[in-house]
Amino acid sequence: MDAEAAKLLGAGIAMGVGALGPGIGLGMLLGKAYESIARQPEVSGDIRTSMFIGIGVTEAVALYAFVVALILIFVA
Amino acid sequence: MKRKRLIWGLVAVVLLAALVGFDVLKQPGQKHEFEVAAEFELKPIITLPTIGPFDLSVNKAVIYLWLTAAILIVVAVLIRFTLKQKPGRLQVVVEALYGLAHDGIVGAVMKSGRATWFPYVAGVFFFVLTANLIGLVPLPLAEHGQFGFYTATANLYVTLTLAFCTFVFTHYAGIRKNGGLHYLKNWAPPSAPPVLKQLIWVIHAVSELFRLVSLAVRLFANMLAGHAILAVFFAMALIFQSYLAAAMLQGASVLIYMFEIFVAFIQAFIFAILSAVYIGGALDQEH
Repeated sequence: MDAEAAKLLGAGIAMGVGALGPGIGLGMLLGKAYESIARQPEVSGDIRTSMFIGIGVTEAVALYAFVVALILIFVA
Repeated sequence: MKRKRLIWGLVAVVLLAALVGFDVLKQPGQKHEFEVAAEFELKPIITLPTIGPFDLSVNKAVIYLWLTAAILIVVAVLIRFTLKQKPGRLQVVVEALYGLAHDGIVGAVMKSGRATWFPYVAGVFFFVLTANLIGLVPLPLAEHGQFGFYTATANLYVTLTLAFCTFVFTHYAGIRKNGGLHYLKNWAPPSAPPVLKQLIWVIHAVSELFRLVSLAVRLFANMLAGHAILAVFFAMALIFQSYLAAAMLQGASVLIYMFEIFVAFIQAFIFAILSAVYIGGALDQEH
């Protein structure tokens, strides 16, 4: 396997595997957020704000994998 | 009233579709090779000398940043001098964003230092929001003066600069409030056993440094991925060479364009609220 093929394969695997964790994490986060909104609808504003912060931080982990994939394709 | 709203909605959708089609057809008859990366290349427009490691040439990203600053200044001055008791549409929008920054961001997460740091956090919120949204308007700054999409915040240098501002202000606020050495000492809980305390301190120091990277990369990668997806969807209508596919993909492009507007808001909100959390955390270290 030459270097070019290995780079592209590595980029694909990086993004694929790197999206598993954040996907599961986001699902759990959103599930808990909806549960707490159902329990206490009057604080849904605060819950929604904290949920968005959590989404931003968790999604960033998937984006690190994306950046690694980009580095493999275009820079390395 | 309902019919008027329906007509406005249809006009908006048709304009969006036209906007999207505008970018797809930007090289009529020539588009055989479609390079996603070509959208993100930066070529200097006005070449200025290089001072040390800083290349002062004016390129696409610089012009977009100037445009962002110009729009913010013009809107702010306009609102300041035409404030009314019964607000017009622009004033309603600006007041809503200001309320979000004041109560939803700074008011919700910072316990102390709200008045001192509200200008910075709100400034970062408005700047990132405007920069993200301008990237969704096609301007004639692509190569050879064609219309193209480009976001200033899709450039790692721009987001790194913004994250660096937050980083500097976080530690400045912490050091000014708690005293330099005391602030650094508080990174490890005082009631921890000796070897564990140093280890926790090192881990905390690395995580503080990583916040700078994560803040920058989060915004950068979100905007970059969004625009790459937009470019791919816009071009897919031409790649398949069939009218049915083009019509369906035009609809999908409009949907994903609307999602990108949502992502622009969310990313600006997250950048601002994380900056507020970091600065607030440095100010109240005894949690």
